[in-house]
Amino acid sequence: MTEKVIPVHMIPDLESEIIKVHGENYLQSNEAMFTFYKRTKGEFSPYFLSLKERKVILGARCPTCKLVRVPPFLVFCPECNFDPLELVEMPDTGIMNSTPPITYFGHSLFQHQVPFGRGRVMLDGAYTALPIHVYTTKGVLTPRVFKKGTRVKVIFRDKRIGKPTDIFAVPMEEIPEHKREIRGLQESDLDWESPAEPELPASTDEAKKAYESVLTQIGEMTSKVAHSERAQKNLAGWKRRIQVKTSGGSMGLSIEDGKLEVQAGESMTLTS
Amino acid sequence: MHDVFRRFRGDHAHERSEVIKTIGWSGDTFYERELGWTASDSYAEVVLAYMDEYPDDLKDDVSAKITEILGEQVQNNPFAQRYGEKVTAEMAMNSRYVVYPFKLLETCVYTEGAGAIIFAVADKARAICKNANNPVIRVTGGVGAANEHNVAGRDDRHKVMHRILSDHLAAKAAYQMAGVTDPLQQIQIVELHDAFIKQLQITMAEMGFVPLGRADDLINDGLMVPGGPVMVNPSGGLTYGGHFVGGSNMFSCWSARRELINKGLQRGLVHGTGSTIAQYGAVMIIERRP
Repeated sequence: MTEKVIPVHMIPDLESEIIKVHGENYLQSNEAMFTFYKRTKGEFSPYFLSLKERKVILGARCPTCKLVRVPPFLVFCPECNFDPLELVEMPDTGIMNSTPPITYFGHSLFQHQVPFGRGRVMLDGAYTALPIHVYTTKGVLTPRVFKKGTRVKVIFRDKRIGKPTDIFAVPMEEIPEHKREIRGLQESDLDWESPAEPELPASTDEAKKAYESVLTQIGEMTSKVAHSERAQKNLAGWKRRIQVKTSGGSMGLSIEDGKLEVQAGESMTLTS
Repeated sequence: MHDVFRRFRGDHAHERSEVIKTIGWSGDTFYERELGWTASDSYAEVVLAYMDEYPDDLKDDVSAKITEILGEQVQNNPFAQRYGEKVTAEMAMNSRYVVYPFKLLETCVYTEGAGAIIFAVADKARAICKNANNPVIRVTGGVGAANEHNVAGRDDRHKVMHRILSDHLAAKAAYQMAGVTDPLQQIQIVELHDAFIKQLQITMAEMGFVPLGRADDLINDGLMVPGGPVMVNPSGGLTYGGHFVGGSNMFSCWSARRELINKGLQRGLVHGTGSTIAQYGAVMIIERRP
């Protein structure tokens, strides 16, 4: 199905429920009030069109002071008597302007994407930093991957629609050397199937004890999920198999058809 | 010009992730909104940039201790959203990340609320306070307000990511108006817009209570611990009081005024911050004077 401007999972079911207020029953139903609209990128259209059609990042250069702003958020230079800026093609390489945050609790349209990183890349030759998503090809993003000064390459989505999400940054060290000079490198040009497992610290009695405690608690939670209509509804449509490794022990988690299962050890032989 | 005016603001918050999205809609609509911009990740950018610059500051155990202190102070504020809640430094340390490096218990809570402030010229204020049997609280620092660029750059013509210059400039302007030259010695109460505890620390540094890079001195040197020279967020702040966006700083004003009156102190500071990458800052100095 084509991606929608409101993700399908965000649309509530057509149903009603009884709520109790001060001992009285009231009927409450899901309703909607919505307006769809189109908006143009206006004078910033060349930038987004260039991402979409040419896989080229544009900057705005002042012919007088030579300052290059990326993204091209101005069309006149406030420093030079409002001289008109000229669009210039930028390199797709640069450095992280500062350490980027990682979002674990996103807003409603990004909850399916967490954890994700958003930072600012100072492209080579630029004076201002480009807001951009940051990705690692080595698994889940952690705070150690990107730091201030990390050299990055901007990668283009295979499917581009002229939005800031058409591009993202990946650490240069994760790009094979023979691909680093290629301009307009796409996500499908990279290897996303070889995540690197982080090294675990040495096992301790405390870690083992914590692991056992967590395993027991998750086991209890799986029983509750099995008896909770709401929990099963929330998990409906999910299909996940997750291997968890800690210095105290390992466990496998499986979510499928509204069921949550957990099993100790590294070889998942879950029923689902 | 009017002699008396009332400032009123309320906010109504429902489902959290929708609220966060709606606030996110107020940011840059072209280059950031569609990247999932939120207030949390935007302020986190500034805090992380500060930590890049000062890697030995903003230690987790210090921000956890501040969280614990604010949790003790909120027990003096029955209007707070989290009145009665007990949070220890250990709980704050072990709470999950919302947006790295911000942890759940070190983040303000969006809430519903309303507030009103009556400002009046001196003679009207005296008359109102006489009837209400309250001392007059004067705004001596006017309001220092400043804003920064919303795009990060290589120098201060654009946003310097590791600074909250808006807070610095706003405080500087307010101090000048109020004749404050040494805030740590001359200000006893601070009600600070603590969207995030680590941002609270940076803001205290930007306002001159500690040097930049030494915000942990707030705890390590006992500056804002109970009995210290400055009481920060006796209301529990927005972390515990609740953040009803657009009106929270009225709640801060109420608390600062209450503390000046109840504790017989002389001078308080009320601070507000907002927008992407902490662009906007406002500081007001209030004093209890005859």
